[in-house]
Amino acid sequence: MIADQPDGAALLAEARRTLLEVLLPLLPPERRYDALMVANAMAIAAREFGAGDETLRGSLAKILDVTCGGAGQMADLEARLAQQIRAGQYDTGNDRDAVRGYLRAVTVARVRVSNPKLLGE
Amino acid sequence: MSGPMLIDAQARERLSRFIAAAADAKGVTIATLEPLRGGAIQENWAVDIDIDGGARAGRHALVLRSDARSRVAASHGRAQEFALLRAAHAAGVTVPEPLWLCTDPAVLGRSFYLMRRIPGVAAGHRVVKDTALGGPRDALAERLGRELARIHTITPRTMGTLAPGASFEFLGPASATPGLDRVRLYRGYLDDLAARRPVLEWGLRWLELNARPVESVTLVHQDFRTGNYLVDTGGLTAILDWEFCAWGDPMSDIGWFCARCWRFGANDREAGGIAGRAPFYRGYESASGRKIDAAAVRYGEIAAHVRWAVIALQQAARHLSGEEPSLELALTGRIVPELELEILNLVDAAGPDRAA
Repeated sequence: MIADQPDGAALLAEARRTLLEVLLPLLPPERRYDALMVANAMAIAAREFGAGDETLRGSLAKILDVTCGGAGQMADLEARLAQQIRAGQYDTGNDRDAVRGYLRAVTVARVRVSNPKLLGE
Repeated sequence: MSGPMLIDAQARERLSRFIAAAADAKGVTIATLEPLRGGAIQENWAVDIDIDGGARAGRHALVLRSDARSRVAASHGRAQEFALLRAAHAAGVTVPEPLWLCTDPAVLGRSFYLMRRIPGVAAGHRVVKDTALGGPRDALAERLGRELARIHTITPRTMGTLAPGASFEFLGPASATPGLDRVRLYRGYLDDLAARRPVLEWGLRWLELNARPVESVTLVHQDFRTGNYLVDTGGLTAILDWEFCAWGDPMSDIGWFCARCWRFGANDREAGGIAGRAPFYRGYESASGRKIDAAAVRYGEIAAHVRWAVIALQQAARHLSGEEPSLELALTGRIVPELELEILNLVDAAGPDRAA
């Protein structure tokens, strides 16, 4: 579907600005935390709009030696990887570094959505 | 989900009669009774009472703590918490003096207990930022180390004499391999949630391969951290939140206190965001006579991040299931990636697995 303008991300950004600049100063102090949580949730959702995981999915498929399928496949692949790690399949061996690299890349991508300040980017 | 407790005029009357009987007094007048901001697991009320007659005659500022809303897996109920507070108080830990426990639902509809109300601030962000609170920071860290050492003097052997008549069976048997027990427990929680988290599995596998038998099993607080103690401008006033206590490795509490996720952004102050590790360790070692084992603390820090991530997933699940819709619970689910990032950093820094 082609989005009308302003699109969802732009609406969210403007709604968040209104919340923080217009509404927050009017709120009683004991409700401030709620408003800041709302602003945080909106910021995470806005960043999530722009985040794709095709590259990560590709490298995970390579580690697991499967063909890279559709977007819905990521959860299944991660479930498989989780199981294999628990079973000790990557305790040693050549794939250990590939798995470690994947885990770091996917985690950084998730933190970039949830709390990018932490990455100092 | 049940909402906050309602205390009407009749309930107030029943409460004052309960306190009068428990305090062996002629009568008790409740001067004020107001809800305090509580946690997700329990509910706290500020109560001021006047006791007429008996050994405790006079005005008392108290907190009434009752069960509230949904229970979190692995948290103790109020009767158990009361028994733990009694033991901690007797062991010389700075806690609010526990006074009376009521398990009769006819009084307020839920179990509750009363303890002394202690002034102070607990909120982690404030304690870390506002240096007017808690007194000189190195002294505060050293004091906290000593307090933790006192908690760790409580053992399966001494518990009974510290709180005579109380049962501590709910703490379970003291295991010599608490690390491996926790790995099994957290894997079970992840499976219950159908959570697929390869990074948490990576951390759990490391914890499994690097677990070591514990020399001395003691009471561990399991939530001893900034945010769970009270300070005023003079220093520490109380250690709070005893609902997760268990038998375990004392070094796990040190790891939890120092874990990066409990520094509230003050990452360079590795002891709870308030000071360096040195004064905290100094206080602990001098009061316990036990040497802090750096490898065991590092193990505890990895375990801390895994545990907090699993709890965060459980909290998010309470929101996702519709059981308890809450923005705070929902957002808690989104802190999991930053905990996972720290798990990866710590496992990398710890070097090769022992079994590798």
